[in-house]
Amino acid sequence: MYEPRIIAFLCSWCSYTGADTAGIARMKSPANIRAIRVPCSGRVSPELVMRAFDQGADGVLVLGCHIGECHYDTGNHRAAKRLPILRSLMTFAGLEPERLHLDWVSASEGERFSKIAEEFTGDVRALGPVHWRVNPDRKQVASQMLAASREAIPYPETDCAAKTDAIRKKARELLANNQVSCVIGYEVSRRGRSRPVFVYTPEETGRLVWNPDCTNNLTTYLPARLRPIKGKEPPKPVAVVVKPCDSKAINVMVAENLYRRDQVYALGVACEGIRCPDGNLQTRCVTCQEAVPIVCDTLISGATSSFIPRLSSYAREEIAELQDATPAERLEFWLGHFDRCIRCYACRQACPMCNCPVCLYERDDSTFIGLGIGLNEKRTFHLGRAYHLAGRCVGCNECERACPMNIPIGLLNQKLAEEIEATFDYRAGLTVAPSPVVTILSGEYKEG
Amino acid sequence: MSKSTAPKKRWLISQAELEAWLDGIANARTLIAPRQESGIILYRPVAKSGEIAWHGQTSRSAHGGRPVLSVKEIFFPPTERLFTIQKTGQEIRLKETFPDWETVVFGVRPCDARGVKLLDALFLDTNPVDSFYARRRGNTTLIGLACKELGPTCFCTSVGGAPDDAQDVDIMLYETDGGYLAEAVTEKGRFLIPGGEWKETTASPQQSTYSGQFPVPEKGKWPEHFNDEYWAKMSERCLSCRACAFVCPTCRCFAVRDELVKPGEFERIRCWDSCAGENYRLVAGGHRPRAEKGERLRNRFFCKFFYYPEQYGLGAASACTGCGRCIEVCPVGVDITEVLMHLEKPA
Ligand code: SF4
Ligand code: SF4
Ligand code: FES
Repeated sequence: MYEPRIIAFLCSWCSYTGADTAGIARMKSPANIRAIRVPCSGRVSPELVMRAFDQGADGVLVLGCHIGECHYDTGNHRAAKRLPILRSLMTFAGLEPERLHLDWVSASEGERFSKIAEEFTGDVRALGPVHWRVNPDRKQVASQMLAASREAIPYPETDCAAKTDAIRKKARELLANNQVSCVIGYEVSRRGRSRPVFVYTPEETGRLVWNPDCTNNLTTYLPARLRPIKGKEPPKPVAVVVKPCDSKAINVMVAENLYRRDQVYALGVACEGIRCPDGNLQTRCVTCQEAVPIVCDTLISGATSSFIPRLSSYAREEIAELQDATPAERLEFWLGHFDRCIRCYACRQACPMCNCPVCLYERDDSTFIGLGIGLNEKRTFHLGRAYHLAGRCVGCNECERACPMNIPIGLLNQKLAEEIEATFDYRAGLTVAPSPVVTILSGEYKEG
Repeated sequence: MSKSTAPKKRWLISQAELEAWLDGIANARTLIAPRQESGIILYRPVAKSGEIAWHGQTSRSAHGGRPVLSVKEIFFPPTERLFTIQKTGQEIRLKETFPDWETVVFGVRPCDARGVKLLDALFLDTNPVDSFYARRRGNTTLIGLACKELGPTCFCTSVGGAPDDAQDVDIMLYETDGGYLAEAVTEKGRFLIPGGEWKETTASPQQSTYSGQFPVPEKGKWPEHFNDEYWAKMSERCLSCRACAFVCPTCRCFAVRDELVKPGEFERIRCWDSCAGENYRLVAGGHRPRAEKGERLRNRFFCKFFYYPEQYGLGAASACTGCGRCIEVCPVGVDITEVLMHLEKPA
């Protein structure tokens, strides 16, 4: 029979002592369990769990104090929120959900400890060896799943001239009145590509445009521009052209104290959707639920705003299709895609929410990830990034658009967004509120 | 580069003959060719010629059939294990693992082949010779495929290349009516051509069509632009990702680190890195010599047109091959041709 290797993160106040109690009472516990003593279940970051699986664990067990009994008050609330989200993410990426279990055991509950350990080991043993860890010499296989499932929806012709005029006019006014130091908007390059532009004077505002190729989420430039620098004057407000999806990022960033709302002047554009280079509507637009920016100081709407028909929700269908597949198929799907990744970080850099001064997955002293551009590292980076965006991703999908390697990274974020909407009835960026995954509110966790 | 004066041997072959030949190669050694994978084209091993993406256009690469990543990844892969370190008690053993397969790459565009030639200057022609690169280079035959015209972002003709330039490949194929004209450029290439089976010809390849060359600032003119305000301005939109460098046929910076494989075993790996990234050259104490985006992008352009040519004796040639990939992938529309035109004639 296969003997699984199980890593158990045990809170030193309760379950670690609980395990001791079981031992003192000479109760039997499976020898498969390697206990790691942690100060609190709140210490068990998703990186630790992922690292355990990356290193070859067949199962990970996390045990903390019962809700209401955490010695740091809310550490176990964190665990109670984090681990289910992590489990659904890892399940989506091909892990059997039974391999990750969270439970509560107090210091006196020796019997409960042995029972949980026994049952969990049994479940994992029944699953057999884990296939999560990848052999670095693995031959890559391109996944055929979802190959042609996205139906193309042509972009509806719209008149952008009125919006362009309105943006220029407002920008001129803001700069002339010295209300903002800079307007971040879109221009068309010599080559005919729409791209970000930074306008500082009223004279330059003629460069600003609006058209269906204005894809970038410009809020990604805001934190660096609005960050106060020691010994320098506080930065002046900045105006930014935002689409409805982009605008939500401002709410999240303000909630996360990256800047204050009054530092940003939002030129919100009523949006008919953005197109791909092939002329079809982008996925995010097909599933978009807002037509008017949530955060907006001036609404830029054209004369005839004909909002796009939300014809289907094919991202949802893709998620459903993946969820119906077997764990092995899902694992193959994602490995096949991650294999192409070159770790260029275009996804992360384009993302307004990825604004850590140094990314956890790029730190030289990182113990969670190596330097290599190998499959293990790439998966760790992507799943870690998706987890860090849980409850924060506003769905602009710029990561996927920026990726030169056509990796459907956006699906990970959408999956977690669905999960969070179902669990917390929360969608990121609709109000100025931090992610429910990281905040603690009393009484929000119901046992059972 | 020296060119032989003897008339080149050429053959006229049909698509079927070409495919049969490639199938034969794929049976005997590793054949790498442009292949479609999840909506993009990449250089990938193929088992038979049927897997090759001949002219496929994809949403990511407008230039028909050209892979998103340059052929560089075959000689200088994203991650390379330099050696493993085994420690048992007091004993430490180092073990190198060299790549030693024979490879043929099909469908190499002239700009990519030029890229390899330019990398040779650093990895092969300058001491110390990079033994990994050298092995791969020695074991690989390049079969070029001339482009009939320039793609939307191509500018090879402005940096000394041409869509039908055969200088840097071993065998060159030109599309003709109803087939291909094959030309043996090197001995290595000649060796791969099936002797009596193909019909020899004295015809010359039809010239590719192109226009739109623009003047590129000479090497000597770059230093005077070092302190231009332009760099800070043009780089404002840059996201400091590294996509441009990773798709570039001649960007070759790497980082090296020792990593644990399992207790008692380590490996030294080297991985792609790029001066466009924020943490490039981060040193102990947290100092970053090029902290501003402008300094980083300036470095990238200077490296192509000044530093590298100067350091590795490229003469008047630049280290940019004009493939236009960086323009294609940049998520925010940074455009190297704009930079060149600006330096030539500031707007
Ligand atoms: S942009 Fe694409 S290739 Fe680059 S790190 Fe992200 S997923 Fe990988
Ligand atoms: S691809 Fe563009 S955004 Fe990324 S580093 Fe290069 S120039 Fe900057
Ligand atoms: S102290 Fe035990 S879970 Fe927090």
